[in-house]
Amino acid sequence: MIVVRAPLRISFVGGGTDLPDFYQRSPGRVISTTVDKYVYVVINRTPLIPYISARYSISETVKKPALLEHTRIKAALLDLGIKKGIEIASFASLPAKTGLGSSSSFSVALLKGLSAFLGKKLDSAEAAELACRLELTLLGEPIGKQDQYAAAFGGLNIIDFQSDNSVVVKPLLLDYRKKLEFENHLLVFFTGLTRDASSVLKEQKVNIQKKIKVLKKMANSVEEFTKYLFAGKIIMLGKLLHEAWLYKKSLASTISNSVINELYMGGIKAGAWGGKILGAGGGGCLLFITPLEKKQSIRKALKKKAQSLKLLEFREIPIRFVQSGAEILFNADLKNNGKLY
Amino acid sequence: MENYIKKFTQKMNIALSKLPVIEIAKALNLLEAVYEQDGKIYVFGNGGSLALATHWVSDFNKTVFSHHLDKSVRRFQAIRLPTTEEELTAWANDIGYDMVFLGPLQNYLQDNDIIIAISSSGNSLNVIKAVRFAKKHKVQIIGLSGFDGGALNKLADAKIHIQTEKGEYSVVESVHATILHLMTQYFKDYFDHLLKRK
Repeated sequence: MIVVRAPLRISFVGGGTDLPDFYQRSPGRVISTTVDKYVYVVINRTPLIPYISARYSISETVKKPALLEHTRIKAALLDLGIKKGIEIASFASLPAKTGLGSSSSFSVALLKGLSAFLGKKLDSAEAAELACRLELTLLGEPIGKQDQYAAAFGGLNIIDFQSDNSVVVKPLLLDYRKKLEFENHLLVFFTGLTRDASSVLKEQKVNIQKKIKVLKKMANSVEEFTKYLFAGKIIMLGKLLHEAWLYKKSLASTISNSVINELYMGGIKAGAWGGKILGAGGGGCLLFITPLEKKQSIRKALKKKAQSLKLLEFREIPIRFVQSGAEILFNADLKNNGKLY
Repeated sequence: MENYIKKFTQKMNIALSKLPVIEIAKALNLLEAVYEQDGKIYVFGNGGSLALATHWVSDFNKTVFSHHLDKSVRRFQAIRLPTTEEELTAWANDIGYDMVFLGPLQNYLQDNDIIIAISSSGNSLNVIKAVRFAKKHKVQIIGLSGFDGGALNKLADAKIHIQTEKGEYSVVESVHATILHLMTQYFKDYFDHLLKRK
């Protein structure tokens, strides 16, 4: 059995510039950090059971990969030539579609695990590249590349997307005091609304030509964000985030909606310096950067607002930054066709 | 006598002024990651470097948490290789001296571990053999080297290279000791701070 874990991420600024339609025209750049919420993939070799099993929100057992419903597992198995005798299960700390990049974290963990199953170890860059290939090339999803790299590398990073399709991950080497101080000023809430990233990103993709200027500004704001981060000017980080949110909202009509706007304004009125929706938009989680002394009142204000909007699943998601990326936690896969000796 | 002492300290000052700060920071991040994923840290080197490894292991496993040993259930798991003199001499005598680190490392290493290799020349055959093994398994490598960095500096993910003339063992080993102490101090302060914050 092989157990792989990949972290989820929160992105600060630059989201959207990781879409191929943008970075093939102008360099894309995001800043994000992984957090202590994870996707786990467990892979079990079953030489005596000639089937393929996939266990996630449902359970599938089929005779060959082409019959699977789970698109990513199906595509990965077909691509890697794994035909039968395998069980794959996934577990997560949070539900899907919360905007924390969990679907790409899943892909990274899956590919890292399946490669280990085939006797090949992947480093972070290889795992990220394979996950991008699976999602963008093999499945043609209209998504970007930031989540795969964030999950594979782990930590607080600037990620650069270049026109030749190469990606460079630059870790921000903040000491623990600065990192904890920043982390302490963040609040994350799950809105209770979920959405499919693809639907939002499809519209965004169509709009890219028109929005190229806005996206360039978004990519450029990463540098400013980093500067304030190192200087410990958290209030300025909040203001930049607010600005970035306004830019982001203009990219596609489905990124925000009246519920999200009401929650967001509720947070700002209660004293947050800035915030944004995490992920593609349309639902998922809201991130705020707040003064420490306002955290309690923001929590109260949003809870009340969510109740009035009948968001039953609304809740705060406590987060801590983590440094570790996708990793094989346990590997007791029996080699030599299932024989130990 | 005074001049001699001053000359030595001068060499130390020069080496310290050229400290690879970014690479040390990267190493701290790697250590934090291995803590989160509950992995082990294997540390090794020859002669004085083995003494540094042994000293560091005791500091890192205990001193980091010395203010709150009862409160921190999860600790670092740093292990010096080989773990016993018997293992060292058995590998050296039976197979060859080039196997004293790789031999034991092959028994232990898991995907979520990391290694710290210490070699002033960066070229000790037994160290490099173990490092290449870790590299093959995509395990991260913190390399502490001196002189021109040698093969170790090329292979390492965190390249902690102390630039000196060839043969300046005393300077290189002293600076290595300083960096290892810095690593311990960083996490000691970090965990103290975390506990105070709660």
